[in-house]
Amino acid sequence: MFFHIVLERNMQLHPRHFGRNLRDNIVAKLMKDVEGTCSGRHGFVVAITGIENIGKGLIRDGTGFVSFPVKYQCVVFRPFKGEILEAVVTMVNKMGFFAEAGPVQIFVSNHLIPDDMEFQSGDMPNYTTSDGSVKIQKDSEVRLKIIGTRVDATEIFCIGTIKDDFLGVINDPAAA
Amino acid sequence: MSLVSDSPVNSSSSDDFAAFLDDALDSGDSSQSSPDDDEDNDKDKDNHNDLEAQLPNDLDTQRIKRRKVAEELENIEELQASTSHSSLEQTLEASKKKDECTHPGSFGEMCILCGQRLQAESGVTFGYIHKGLRLQNDEIVRLRNTDMKNLLRHKKLYLVLDLDHTLLNSTELRDMTSEEEYLKSQTDSPQDVSKGNLFMLTLMRMMTKLRPFARTFLKEASEMFEMYIYTMGDRAYALEMAELLDPQREYFSSRVISRDDGTQKHQKGLDIVLGQESAVLILDDTEHAWTKHKENLILMERYLFFASSCRQFGFNCKSLSELKSDESDTDGALATVLEVLKQIHKIFFDELKDNLVDRDVRQVLKTVKKEILKGCKIVFSRVFPTKYQAENHHLWKMAEQLGATCTTELDSSVTHVVSNDVGTEKSRWAVKHNKFLVLPRWIEAANYMWQKKPEENFSVKPNEELITPVCSNANS
Ligand SMILES: [Zn+2]
Repeated sequence: MFFHIVLERNMQLHPRHFGRNLRDNIVAKLMKDVEGTCSGRHGFVVAITGIENIGKGLIRDGTGFVSFPVKYQCVVFRPFKGEILEAVVTMVNKMGFFAEAGPVQIFVSNHLIPDDMEFQSGDMPNYTTSDGSVKIQKDSEVRLKIIGTRVDATEIFCIGTIKDDFLGVINDPAAA
Repeated sequence: MSLVSDSPVNSSSSDDFAAFLDDALDSGDSSQSSPDDDEDNDKDKDNHNDLEAQLPNDLDTQRIKRRKVAEELENIEELQASTSHSSLEQTLEASKKKDECTHPGSFGEMCILCGQRLQAESGVTFGYIHKGLRLQNDEIVRLRNTDMKNLLRHKKLYLVLDLDHTLLNSTELRDMTSEEEYLKSQTDSPQDVSKGNLFMLTLMRMMTKLRPFARTFLKEASEMFEMYIYTMGDRAYALEMAELLDPQREYFSSRVISRDDGTQKHQKGLDIVLGQESAVLILDDTEHAWTKHKENLILMERYLFFASSCRQFGFNCKSLSELKSDESDTDGALATVLEVLKQIHKIFFDELKDNLVDRDVRQVLKTVKKEILKGCKIVFSRVFPTKYQAENHHLWKMAEQLGATCTTELDSSVTHVVSNDVGTEKSRWAVKHNKFLVLPRWIEAANYMWQKKPEENFSVKPNEELITPVCSNANS
């Protein structure tokens, strides 16, 4: 799920960045530091959308660095248990398949793939229904339900299932 | 001077936000990841207190945001509710299952079946398939059983391939001799790997030579086997070599196992190969890496192309590279073993009569091997140290595995005397009674070439010990 939220961060800046471009420098550094990172609390920071406020700088003793409290708006992405996600399949094997939704890595075990879908090995391993009408392989787009999540400093892991109504392949590249 | 880094401020709004989400969604998982954040915040406590006074506390925006989030969450809950209504039975069944979950494996420390966070790490790591994946033994057994049926339907077995000295030979650039310098101008383009067989890996400071016939071997073997690479090299090396051998990724997929993935040091094990042991064959030049799986192993004659590899195995002679020579393409070790694999595959699927799942490729391997020296009756003469228990010597065992009968008594039924010396009593007896008198290498040659070699090529010459030993790659 995406959220638009306000976060705060103390930005340490070297004095060489001071001057008329100070604000731009702070924002540029903020984007570099924050976008693409994860926190267990908020999830993955997709993009900074605006700066609400940059507070008064505080000079750190002995270093000359100044820290500015910055309040910024950003879009974060965090999967939740029970959430329905759309993801792209990255790898299919006899244990199940792995899929990605942005920074989120999802594993769907073959226990949680409908029983009528069977694993087929070969150059392009896949799970296929007995009538061949539905096929999950690399690059397929699937709709799945999250049943477990874990957010690391840099990665988000999820366990997913497609063993429920309205879940499964939504776009099959082989059929297209 | 210590580096100053940024640190997140303990913002009251974001705290509320997270706490709120946790409550609303009952997702215990997020709270488990938060200690990291708290630590960061603690570090900055002094600083943070100073700042708080200056920060405007914008309660209004906060309230609006909360309301928005709450609305979104309600929507989710509604959705969940509607799906569960539609299949109440299923949900009941699922919840029952959840209670009894055996946690068959984990991904990112969460159960792959119920999604629960698992505290203790257990089971076997399958990092070579995907980072963070582990499976319990029961699950491995279950996967092997289902996979076996699938594979047998496609008339395939499993083949585990070693890299170094089996499929290829690598050397570090700094270990190359002056006589090998010429190779540096003969390497194949890294752009089109599929055609070359000699590669310079600049980043790894290495040069790799594929064994003659390697490409044909992989292509033909892939039609009979699901193949794994299993190397004692590290992960980076294994992947680099897989790229050279299989640039189209049609043979190995993610089945590349390195020493980083093994469960036991200096040992290779089939425990992380998702195939039933009764259907696995292994090609490797190192027997002692597979102490638990000798029956699955086809021992390969070492491919030592570079001088550094020859030295490593104690051969003080010119290497193939220095001699500007190479193993034969058409009847070298890989071509030979491919024929053996074809034979085993054919017997397994076409000739055995019992139930497919009950067949055992290890038995087939044994049977095929026993044909090689079938009908030979061998007596050894001064090959083993005195007082050595003859039956325990590796040549004795090897000869028996090849189907020969070994004995210590000379009689008319004996066909071969094996010795290094024409002068022994038994050697003289062989000459006198018109029996074959051959060098011990005759047995080893049969073992590696999978056929009985002409005895005249291995006849014992007088003063054999004075002749300079020929550089042979044969394991001994
Ligand atoms: Zn479980």
